[in-house]
Amino acid sequence: MSDHVPRRARRGALSAQLGVLHALVLREMQLRFGQSKVGYLWLVAEPMMLGFGVSLIHWMTDRGLPNNIPVFLFYALGYAPFYMFRGILTRNAGAITHSMPLLYHRSVKLHDLTMARTLLEAAACSVVIGLLVVGGGLFGGYWPAHPGLFVVSLVFSALIGHGVGTLLAALIVFVEPVERLVHPLTYLMMPFSAAFLMLASVTPATRDALLYNPLANVHEAMRHAQWGDKVVSYFSLPYVMLWILILNVLAMAAMRAARPRLSMAR
Amino acid sequence: MIEMLDVWKGFHSHKSGAQHVILRGVHGRIRRGDQVGILGRNGSGKSTLLRLLSGVENPDRGVIRREMSISWPIGGAYGLQTITSGASNARFIARLYGTPVQQTQDFVEEFSELGRYFFEPVNTYSSGMVSRLLMGLSFAVDFDCYLVDEALSTGDARFAAKCQHMLQMRRQNAAMILVSHNAMHVRQYCDTAAILRNGMLEFYEDVDEAIAAYQGL
Repeated sequence: MSDHVPRRARRGALSAQLGVLHALVLREMQLRFGQSKVGYLWLVAEPMMLGFGVSLIHWMTDRGLPNNIPVFLFYALGYAPFYMFRGILTRNAGAITHSMPLLYHRSVKLHDLTMARTLLEAAACSVVIGLLVVGGGLFGGYWPAHPGLFVVSLVFSALIGHGVGTLLAALIVFVEPVERLVHPLTYLMMPFSAAFLMLASVTPATRDALLYNPLANVHEAMRHAQWGDKVVSYFSLPYVMLWILILNVLAMAAMRAARPRLSMAR
Repeated sequence: MIEMLDVWKGFHSHKSGAQHVILRGVHGRIRRGDQVGILGRNGSGKSTLLRLLSGVENPDRGVIRREMSISWPIGGAYGLQTITSGASNARFIARLYGTPVQQTQDFVEEFSELGRYFFEPVNTYSSGMVSRLLMGLSFAVDFDCYLVDEALSTGDARFAAKCQHMLQMRRQNAAMILVSHNAMHVRQYCDTAAILRNGMLEFYEDVDEAIAAYQGL
């Protein structure tokens, strides 16, 4: 009979935490994509399809960009990071309500749920963005002018998405209807986030207004990182970092406040 | 040891917003190796008590001290991902609690005797099969205390014997708290018993005495 009981390995606090995250990321992957053999392909194919579709539409309708910037790559590299941001935000916002059964395991903390989702979403989208960048380099010769800045702004975008998404997830615990606002919010955010819009092309007043949005700063930074001197960019990374700090501290506090209000008895 | 000191818990009614108090000052102490049955009618707060003991919810008032590693409440489909297979749940539990992944999956597969269903989604299982999976999953982790919420009540005699053997084997280290509305299950698995009524817990040294008192309710 089964007398050989598996023993738990002794783990430190950090490795236990990483173990929980690892378990959650794999679970999330399996739930979303693991139902069929080609399922994991969707992990990359989903953002890829949208990215290509949107870029294609712009490619067909656009009247051209300054300094011979290729239209397709320009829009693809504008859309894919925004897709990542939106994905992280919306998936995080639903993290608590959609994972209640997991909270039966005491080691799963609320923040683990959102962190796991952010990690998976960021990893999947980074693959797509990486493919676009490498493709642009190999086939068009357009390598990023500042690769380091590109990566940093991508990470910043993810951290803003994580902060806002986590904050929303906690708010939904207090005020359920907030859940309905998440989707419209992410769509309406698009014109204000300067994902496609070069801030050099708008009036100074509009530009200043848009630059209050940290996401607009991130997208400008990303354009600067990719296209270098071919574009004129306006952004401030310290400003973005300040937002990231504020959003994530607020999000952590909100999660702490939300936990005692959750009950499995439903 | 687990100690409960003056534990209170209530819930807000979703409709009226009024507070329903479920537990009104529960006291108790469970030591290593104890096998305690808690008897209570439907709605008396048994599952609420287990959630508090497991630490997934906090009491409104009072203290719960835990000096043992405690399982999650074993019952219903608690803590399961029902759209994935039993095997995948086993791997998840292994990663979460830090047991070796393959060994854990093999243990659960053997213990729960689900056959080919082990690799089918849990939402296709019968309730007896879900219970067997849950018991396998929890026994696959070397907890000091198992919280069982009716999960033992759906299995057949053979499975009951298997669970009893497993609990016997861990007698030196592991405690079990079993909540049930069924006196027979408490008699079968436990050596002390308590009754949960009016939001309070009354302990009895003798199981038969507890059952007699419970049936007199």
